[in-house]
Amino acid sequence: MDIFASFGHGLLVAMQPENLLYCFIGVFLGTFIGVLPGIGSMAPISMILPLSFYLEPTSALVMIAGVYYGAEYGGSIASILMNIPGTPSSSITCIDGYPMAREGRAGIALFTSAIASFGGGMIGMVVMAVLAPALASLALNFGPAEYFAVILLGLVAASAVSNGSPVKGVAMVVAGLMLGTVGVDITTGAERFTMGIPELRDGVNLVVVAMGLFGVGELIVSIKANASGAHQTDIDYKQFYPSRAEWKSIFNPILRGGAIGSFFGALPGTGQTVASAVAYAVEKKLSRNRGNFGKGAIEGVAVPESANNSATQTAFIPTLTLGVPGSASMALVIGALMIHGITPGPRLLVEHADLFWGLVASFLIGNVMLLVLNIPMIGLWVRLLQIPYKYMYPTIIVLICMGVYSVNNNVFDIWLTLAFGWAGYLMRLFRFEPAPLLIGFVLGPMMEEQLRRAMLLSRGDPTVFLTRPISGVLIVITIGLLAYSCVSALRARRHQRGALRSAE
Amino acid sequence: MKPHALLALAASALFATSAVAEPGKWSDTPVRIVVTFPPGGTSDLVARILAQYLDSEFGQKAVVDNRPGAGGTVAADYVAQQPADGTTLILGNNAPFTIAPTQFESLPYDPVASFTHIANLGASTPGLFVQPSLGITDLDGFIALAKGDGVTYGSSGVGSITHILGQAVDTALQIETIHVPYQGSAPAIQDFRAGVLDAFYDSMAQNSAMIEDGEVVPLAVAAPERSKRFPEIPTFREQGYDVVIENWTGLSGPAGMDPAMVQTIHDSVEQIMAIPAVIEQMDQWGIAHTAMTTEDFSSFVANTITVWRPLIEAANVNGG
Repeated sequence: MDIFASFGHGLLVAMQPENLLYCFIGVFLGTFIGVLPGIGSMAPISMILPLSFYLEPTSALVMIAGVYYGAEYGGSIASILMNIPGTPSSSITCIDGYPMAREGRAGIALFTSAIASFGGGMIGMVVMAVLAPALASLALNFGPAEYFAVILLGLVAASAVSNGSPVKGVAMVVAGLMLGTVGVDITTGAERFTMGIPELRDGVNLVVVAMGLFGVGELIVSIKANASGAHQTDIDYKQFYPSRAEWKSIFNPILRGGAIGSFFGALPGTGQTVASAVAYAVEKKLSRNRGNFGKGAIEGVAVPESANNSATQTAFIPTLTLGVPGSASMALVIGALMIHGITPGPRLLVEHADLFWGLVASFLIGNVMLLVLNIPMIGLWVRLLQIPYKYMYPTIIVLICMGVYSVNNNVFDIWLTLAFGWAGYLMRLFRFEPAPLLIGFVLGPMMEEQLRRAMLLSRGDPTVFLTRPISGVLIVITIGLLAYSCVSALRARRHQRGALRSAE
Repeated sequence: MKPHALLALAASALFATSAVAEPGKWSDTPVRIVVTFPPGGTSDLVARILAQYLDSEFGQKAVVDNRPGAGGTVAADYVAQQPADGTTLILGNNAPFTIAPTQFESLPYDPVASFTHIANLGASTPGLFVQPSLGITDLDGFIALAKGDGVTYGSSGVGSITHILGQAVDTALQIETIHVPYQGSAPAIQDFRAGVLDAFYDSMAQNSAMIEDGEVVPLAVAAPERSKRFPEIPTFREQGYDVVIENWTGLSGPAGMDPAMVQTIHDSVEQIMAIPAVIEQMDQWGIAHTAMTTEDFSSFVANTITVWRPLIEAANVNGG
């Protein structure tokens, strides 16, 4: 078949010694930097961008891609071990990964995360190889109305991410939505809640919110708990590999996570954080083990990791085939291609087939490298937990400051992170969860932007959301999901009441 | 001050300005070129090319420092506060220096007095693109459409150069169009290709592939004359409407820099902009270089603010 021939050809390109070398450099740098809290793939990619000017375009792209998905592997490590996400998209992994580590199952959680990332990566690669043209045209069918509908669906689905009281969960989503309104209004140019601070004109940065609420907040809690000790002192080295039952239970979640991740990755603008949040929410509805979600369910680690890694691979589809970058890191990819005189667009697949298929094949090689790199490291990472807090925490704080600063090269962001840190601490104190806030914060501004744009384009006619086929179907699914949630909640309450009555 | 001391001061000033500066290295410490955008865009790449050639031609080390935010005003404010010793420069453009002074009620810097505007790098030209399915090929067709069914157009944001251009075209053509702002041109083009927008304004060079494939119909360019790369696309002026909006890029530093050093930087930059490989690369990004003296460039920056003011005010860019 055509795809196999092209893929085989791509494999030859990717197997060239220099491409192998740059792939390795990329994934190594990515996974290492991903571990550091707050420093996402953006900073290392912009550092290696000048280097890429001197490389062949394929080598440059393979290396940049390696950093990009390598960071997703590394991002989950700090999430699991310390409840501090290495990248914003691995915030969701904290929800179940950290409880697993507290139970002494950190090794298994890390292993699961590596395997799930690998599985997600492979799904993303297959999707990219087989469906790139189809997904590119799907993205072209997504106008503002469709984007609004899919984000609404995501928001309704994700409101289930919270584990504690549903009222508190909804309150956190709303707080996130409100936080998302800070900054210059995209539609009118009016400043909203910026308090005259120029740095707030572009809104609050996602990295600042994630690092403050999860990272700094967690540190403050832990300092109060025990300043002199360490997370864990004795480690059972036998407990590193999942049992047969655990292997079985993560298989389907990895597939579902990979599929959801591939979809959101291919839609420019939504990205890995949305992908992992929605995948987690869906899994929580479907899983037989849903009662354990949030308490250290192994599926809860597998799903977001699979989703965010497949999203990183499919994010290349709109970037390369439409020239539309979904994120700042993807904008750098376009920059790297532009310097070599390659214009991303529909013709790239034909005119630069070597580049496209070489990249797809490098996903296979890079993900295998990451697996080989990460599995033996698990023992080393887990040993990090034995480092006393007094050495560990100052180091983490410094790393968070560096990471947050690297986003905009602005000290203001560091102060803002501190403020969010205290907010995160207070939220933990009163048992509010930060994850729903983060989801509201990510989805809210996108939803508002697309809603207002759709209304502007329809000249104020709201029926546009129902009359356009894709958005109509999505809206119906959303209403269905809402109705299902309400009915099942009512039934559960009646059941409870019935049980009470019979007990009397 | 005694008269002869004044004279000596005047003489030394005269000497300083009349000293023949040569292109070359001007700072022993690496120079930071502050870019108002995140890495990866054309502006960032221009700065990186500049840094590369400063090193290879003159041994002047330079690094690119991306400080995005608030339409470039964060970067401009930062540079205005740095020491004027030639170690911090900004790759300026219309956002912080031309549009922001009118758009924002208060700015922490003065776009003219807080800076030493050194050298003009060049300008790219935006144009008006419409859907092929609309079946129009010139501005008269565009006017008829706007007065009939109405036209929606995408820009890269409220207060962006493409929004100002849209406003300028509306004024010149005496039409009203529906402005749909995006965050940058990429998502606007995506929606255009999805068929939801009738038109958009963007740089010509960025859309060369779509022009060649016939996926867009370019109606006019907002330059004084036709571009070398697309000689078949007419200007607004040729079609009888005086619309010229160019997206300029230049190099500036904090106010009060040493004139001799300014001359050295200016001449070094001019020499780099004349290297054939650089010209070819700039051409590909649609940036045409016009040599300006330091004085000309400074008055160009000051003039552009006044010329654009009515357009920016008409566009109602601060939501008031």
